[in-house]
Amino acid sequence: MASTEDLQFYFFHFMPYSDYPENHESYPSTWVDFPNRHFDPAKGKQFYDRYLREMVLADKLGFDALVVNEHHSTAYSMMPAPSLIAAALIPQTSRAKICVFGTPLNLEYPHRVAEEYAMLDVMSGGRLEAALPLGTGMEYWVNPINPATARKRFRESIDILLQAWTQPGPTQYQGEFYSYRYLNTWPQPWQKPHPKLYLVGTGSPETIDLAAELGMGYSSVFVPTKKQNQAFADLRAKSQAHGHEFTRDKAVIMAMVYVAETEEKAVAEYMDHIMFFFKHGLRTTPRYLMPPGYVSTDELKKRLSAPNLHGDLSWEALTDNFRVIASTPDKVAEAIAQWSEEAQSSRIIFNAHLGDMPHWKVVKNMTLFAEEVIPRLRKKAPDLVPRMELAQAAE
Amino acid sequence: MAEFSRDEYTINGVKSVVLSGGKGEPLVFLHGGGTFHGWEFAKPWMEHFRVIIPFHPGFAESGDDESINQMQDYVMHYLDLFDALGLERFNLVGFSLGGWMAAKFATQHAHRIKKLVLVAPAGLRVPEAPSTDLFSVPGEELPALLVHDFEVIKPHLPAEPDVDFIVGGYREMTSVARLLWDRTYDSKLAKWLHRVTVPTLLVWGEEDRIIPAGQAPHWQKLIAKAEVKRYPAAGHLVLDEKRQAVDDVAGFLQA
Repeated sequence: MASTEDLQFYFFHFMPYSDYPENHESYPSTWVDFPNRHFDPAKGKQFYDRYLREMVLADKLGFDALVVNEHHSTAYSMMPAPSLIAAALIPQTSRAKICVFGTPLNLEYPHRVAEEYAMLDVMSGGRLEAALPLGTGMEYWVNPINPATARKRFRESIDILLQAWTQPGPTQYQGEFYSYRYLNTWPQPWQKPHPKLYLVGTGSPETIDLAAELGMGYSSVFVPTKKQNQAFADLRAKSQAHGHEFTRDKAVIMAMVYVAETEEKAVAEYMDHIMFFFKHGLRTTPRYLMPPGYVSTDELKKRLSAPNLHGDLSWEALTDNFRVIASTPDKVAEAIAQWSEEAQSSRIIFNAHLGDMPHWKVVKNMTLFAEEVIPRLRKKAPDLVPRMELAQAAE
Repeated sequence: MAEFSRDEYTINGVKSVVLSGGKGEPLVFLHGGGTFHGWEFAKPWMEHFRVIIPFHPGFAESGDDESINQMQDYVMHYLDLFDALGLERFNLVGFSLGGWMAAKFATQHAHRIKKLVLVAPAGLRVPEAPSTDLFSVPGEELPALLVHDFEVIKPHLPAEPDVDFIVGGYREMTSVARLLWDRTYDSKLAKWLHRVTVPTLLVWGEEDRIIPAGQAPHWQKLIAKAEVKRYPAAGHLVLDEKRQAVDDVAGFLQA
């Protein structure tokens, strides 16, 4: 088995509004058109407070990174503006990387993302990593952006972001979607040439080709593990043609894990919440998932013939299709080592909280993961010493 | 009844398939945003006209061109195609999305059009009688919305869920989305419709649930020589539902 010494563990939070109304199952989708009267700001505040505490605890427990992400018009996530959460985390944390995984560039002006992310990178003293997603199909129903031209616009936005960060400003940009007379973003990122970037996709060949071309990291979400690993294999092969090496640290995999004293207990404590996540959190319609032009007709054909992952799934289907485990530290460590080897990945996203999981279970899960699972993989406990250069930078 | 013959052209590098048949003055028909309901309705026209039904790029058997993303691109495409077909002056009939296309073409090239027929045209923003946003309708509910009598459209639908049928519809919706995802109307159209100086017939099904017949007076007000014919017990696909409407179009063009 390959070494697991290089593994890094990314603590990921969806920050859902999990207080669904009693009749929520009468809605075919908890995205796009799920009425916002079901959001109670008082409960929302409780969730934000609690979730932020969990993320701060992750820093204290030694997780290597804290991950936030962006979704719109859904109970699935309360982070339409993940940079705000990242900014709230920066002064409460000292060592973990802050990962905004991320704002779909299409849904913002690209120079604004360049500015925001540079702010976060400077404010955190170089702790930022960012992922650039195209955005789920659902986002295109609630943002005034054409899904049929999304990929071209996305590509242009990435070029603008990179130009803003790597070419001394002011520069100009003239494209099909954007035109900048003075591209001269202040501030500029702390990390040079820029914070580590990943693309996020759902396994479509267009995104894999783009990651290979740009030499970026890659992660695919909510597609079966086999398809994810195939995407990594394709990337390793295709990157070479562009003079890039797709190294282990560029492959990000997501693991839905619950750790407890025994496997029985882990499954019993976990089951309801992961089911809630898939059955209710991800519940949406094919129309919302794939607005016109969001995928190619070839890709649509493939997806129509594949199992629907946004709906009712059995535990067996979940554990077959995704990196899902509820078990003891030994078994969890073993599973992660295997997943890491199969994907040739050293960046493991750990979903500690899912669905309507209560705080005590999240704390138990993440604590056991940090204290019992990580040392089994890295043969040492997480590094709890704040990074010296950061301390110095703060002076 | 005679069948259409099929010809392929390459226009600006894009495969453009054209159905045609019949003898007489040319009648060009610009189709709507979905082609699954076929061309049976247009066959009676062949008795009096040389009927020409081009498939827009991105629809039916024509090829895709993702750089066609504005209605004006289709106007330019058809200038090229009509040149290739040697069409100087012709009758132009447009349905729904194709009605918008025909109207826009007519605002710029009225001299090439003998008479114009707009069948339930899209393109105007009419707050008093708003169009249905097709993107907001689940695909499986759409066919029933298109007609007054479901039996008319039933033969064109697959009996069992069919991946190729869904993918074909998705491709055409993608072509429609390139044009009008951002807004499903042209806010400038009303300003320039006075450029349509040719005799114009507006055809509408009274029960049109996609583009309501209540939009007809707005078109009539904006086009000087426009008359309106409305058909009871007919939906958006009024030409498929009412043979009388097909005959009236022919009668209008012959008069």
